Amino acid sequence: MKTTPDRKASSFMTRTRKLGLVVLAAAVCFGPPAALAQTQIYDARTKKWVNYDKKKARQYYARNNQLPEAFRRQVVPFRTAEKPGTIIIDGNQHFLYLVQPGGQAIRYGIGVGREGFGWAGIVRVGRTAEWPTWTPPPEMVARDPNAAKWAAGMPGGPDNPLGARALYLYEGDQDTIYRIHGTVEPWTIGLDVSSGCIRMNNDDVTDLHSRIEVGAKVIVLMQGAALYKGV
Amino acid sequence: MRSKSLVLAAGIGLAFLGGCQSAPPKPEEMARTSLQTAPADLQLICANAAAGTAQVDSSKVLPTSSRQLDATSYSVDLDAGGRKFNCIVDTNGSVKSVQPVA
Repeated sequence: MKTTPDRKASSFMTRTRKLGLVVLAAAVCFGPPAALAQTQIYDARTKKWVNYDKKKARQYYARNNQLPEAFRRQVVPFRTAEKPGTIIIDGNQHFLYLVQPGGQAIRYGIGVGREGFGWAGIVRVGRTAEWPTWTPPPEMVARDPNAAKWAAGMPGGPDNPLGARALYLYEGDQDTIYRIHGTVEPWTIGLDVSSGCIRMNNDDVTDLHSRIEVGAKVIVLMQGAALYKGV
Repeated sequence: MRSKSLVLAAGIGLAFLGGCQSAPPKPEEMARTSLQTAPADLQLICANAAAGTAQVDSSKVLPTSSRQLDATSYSVDLDAGGRKFNCIVDTNGSVKSVQPVA
């Protein structure tokens, strides 16, 4: 079929809009890191709650090669009227719940938006991708030669900041530009580090991806959120 | 005789101190934030209750903040399609009240 000018223009606009969304999403998800974590973990040795910031999280991960137990994947009791397959994100406590039958949920540890970048709302999984492409935002391309070489998009793989899977969150038919995705920095789970995306370690996001369906309801709870979506 | 009394007193003292010390949390509960928000399931139980009171679709009700009132109850603030509600829920998931907020 021959492409008409209108169709060409429309196609160009669609491509431009898509590119814009990708760039915006990249900018949203990978802003400069700031360790304003209010997370605390229980130190069994001293029997005290201690602050768990980015430095301590990295040390813990290097020492144990895994996250503190609370942030590891586990089945927990969860009383809700939401149907199985619903995703519930508790941004304050850094947990993502996938509702299961029988008053239970699978709980995963997550990293969330740092101060000023948290959001809340009721959205849905619009689409998903395995080993998604990452496109750095223009300002990152301008200042970082490593990012510049991926200006046209970094193919999916173990070094890609989006990790193994991405779940694209939509409000109605509109991409919110927020995603649930994997990470190359697994020690950041449990912290407020992103610019609004929900990050999980790669094993967990792969597990979640295998269990959910496109269209799944996603409820994001975040006290003091700067933004509300879908309500 | 005196040393026996001392040992007994020390034992009672240690037992007393041990009794005062709270038990450590379970491993899966060894993380928290300084914000003492309500557990997510309790917040959503409140959202469901507020949807009934406000007579709106539950997909339009979102918990916006929460706090622990005492050892067994939480207060949850909700937005129900632009109208504000407050809900009190206990740790068993029983809703004690849902009130509109002026």
